[in-house]
Amino acid sequence: MTSADPAAATQPMRDVLRDPVLVAPLVVAAGLGVGALGIHAHISETRIATDMGLAWALAAAALVTLGRPRRRRATWLLAAAAFALLGADLEWADTHAWWTLGLVFEQLWIAVLAVLLLALPEGRRSSPVTPWAIAGAFAVTLAGQVAGALVEPDVRDLLSVAPHAGAAHAIDRAQEFAGAAVALVVLVLLLQRLRELRGAARRSQGPPLAGAAVALTVGGVWLGLVIASDGSRPRVETIARAIVVLLPIGVVVGILWSRLRQPEASELVVELQAQNPATMGERLAGALGDPTLEIAYRLADGQYVDASGRAVELPRDPGRAVTAITAGGKEVAVLVHDPALLDEPALVESVRATAALVLEIERLAAEVRSQLAEVRASRERIVSAADAERRRIERNLHDGAQQRLVTLSVALGLEASRVDSAATTDVLSRAQNEVEQAITELRDLARGIHPTLLRDEGLQIAVEALARRASIPVTVNGAVHGRLPDSIELAAYFVVSEALTNVTKHASPTEASVTLVRESGVLRVTVTDDGVGGARIANGSGLAGLRDRLDALDATLVIDSRPTQGTTVRAELPCE
Amino acid sequence: MLIVDDHKPFRAVARELLEGAGYIVTGEAGDAAEALAAIAAEAPDVVLLDVQLPDQDGFAVATAVTASQGPAVVLISSREADAYGRRVVSCGACGFIPKSKLSAATFAAALE
Repeated sequence: MTSADPAAATQPMRDVLRDPVLVAPLVVAAGLGVGALGIHAHISETRIATDMGLAWALAAAALVTLGRPRRRRATWLLAAAAFALLGADLEWADTHAWWTLGLVFEQLWIAVLAVLLLALPEGRRSSPVTPWAIAGAFAVTLAGQVAGALVEPDVRDLLSVAPHAGAAHAIDRAQEFAGAAVALVVLVLLLQRLRELRGAARRSQGPPLAGAAVALTVGGVWLGLVIASDGSRPRVETIARAIVVLLPIGVVVGILWSRLRQPEASELVVELQAQNPATMGERLAGALGDPTLEIAYRLADGQYVDASGRAVELPRDPGRAVTAITAGGKEVAVLVHDPALLDEPALVESVRATAALVLEIERLAAEVRSQLAEVRASRERIVSAADAERRRIERNLHDGAQQRLVTLSVALGLEASRVDSAATTDVLSRAQNEVEQAITELRDLARGIHPTLLRDEGLQIAVEALARRASIPVTVNGAVHGRLPDSIELAAYFVVSEALTNVTKHASPTEASVTLVRESGVLRVTVTDDGVGGARIANGSGLAGLRDRLDALDATLVIDSRPTQGTTVRAELPCE
Repeated sequence: MLIVDDHKPFRAVARELLEGAGYIVTGEAGDAAEALAAIAAEAPDVVLLDVQLPDQDGFAVATAVTASQGPAVVLISSREADAYGRRVVSCGACGFIPKSKLSAATFAAALE
């Protein structure tokens, strides 16, 4: 035989002892024991039944909260309250030691329940006053009892070091006043939490908090009566205790209410397939009862985006919870939601299973939108880079070839004026004409690549210059004041330039007009002629080439050209 | 007179052309700074001024010169006047000649 590891052997035993299920038989046994004590001590049956009933109800609520990870603390606090309540009834025992123990722990269960109420579900404190209220509850119930026990004149009190009836009474009164004050603060905090609860948290925490608020109010009335009459009111005290049972009942109701939401998750399948104008986020928010729910889709590169494809950061705030949705073993999206939804794991799981496929489709759509935005941005960059290159080429042509040709032309003219031979003069003049022709062609080429006037003076002046250079009368209507982004001006200029070139080449018009209007963040450019019509944007034409430039700016280009009706070219360019 | 152009071969041809027509060329400048210094030093009656200069454009120089009651300015450019819009008129120059059209006759006409 090999020797077993003692630590390993004791581990299962330790786990068993820590299992909260043990609470049930222990509380039942303790309740029965205390009941027997009460009967033996001739305590009122109503009071015995109230304490046993309340302790068992607290234990039952502890059992119901089992298996809910965020309620582990609640489970233990409910069980602790049950034992503390029964512990107080040890005062009914004959033995002085038990009696003293009962005296000290007489009110501890109230402080334990205060912790449970103020720190539900996972120790989240909603107010800076909360820790003080909890400390106050323990000071009144535990420290107050210990102080009272030190001066208690009752002979059964083993802790009594200086028995003094007056002092004991004074401590009782102080406890009553302080207790009433703490109860009031706790009630205000409870009502505040109740008011702030939303969605899933309201379903699971609303009932216990509401039950506790009622019990606290009744308890407060009892304390008020005690303070006012300076004496015990056993009947009211029993009623106040009995009403505390609303708290464990509320815990159970809250959990049942949360579970009742589950059928709605299965209805989500129908909902998701319907042609519903609501967004996926709104539908899931409705199904889970959490209006704050948001969806973030995970892209292939690990980034998260919203439905429109915009990048989003996942929250690190403990006030928000993040639940991953997987499809085919791959994370497709995350739900960002109220942490209270974690109290309803079955509901979330059901929605997760139902929505995974649809979310995968939505994710693909979001990914496409994100890529589309990237493509659009990159197309804009390409157009701007091309424009910068055009500007550079125009400048090089002007500073280089054009300068040399101009100098050559002037030199030829000078030389022609000097020579005496008519034949030589003729040759030089013809050479100068050729050079002039080359300069004109080069100038037109440079203007087509990037118009200097547009860069320096803006769209209105540049379009007016285009109109003047046209071989037919062209009127310019409307006006564009101020400057627009370079890319918009250049695109609008090329639309007018290309349209006028086409008109004079193919349409045989008598006149044409250009209209420039800027309104509501849109620049509208219209070029109309009275020519033969029948024009269209043919592949490979100048206007077809312009379409790419306009698409990159989210602009539109439309041609309206019926035979014999003339042609209208319309471009709309967004220019916020 | 003063000839201002950043292209040296053009300045040489223009000088020859204008001197042949009887003008006295007192100096040449390759950029706006040199031009302003030469105008201050030599006080010419006329400046033949290229629009496209490396440091400033000719319109700015023309505006500065004419605003201070300086010499008459004739602008030249390898582009047509149309390429510059209103600036040709508003800068105070008394004339504009496309460079390729520069001759004794066009220069005299611009000065009138």
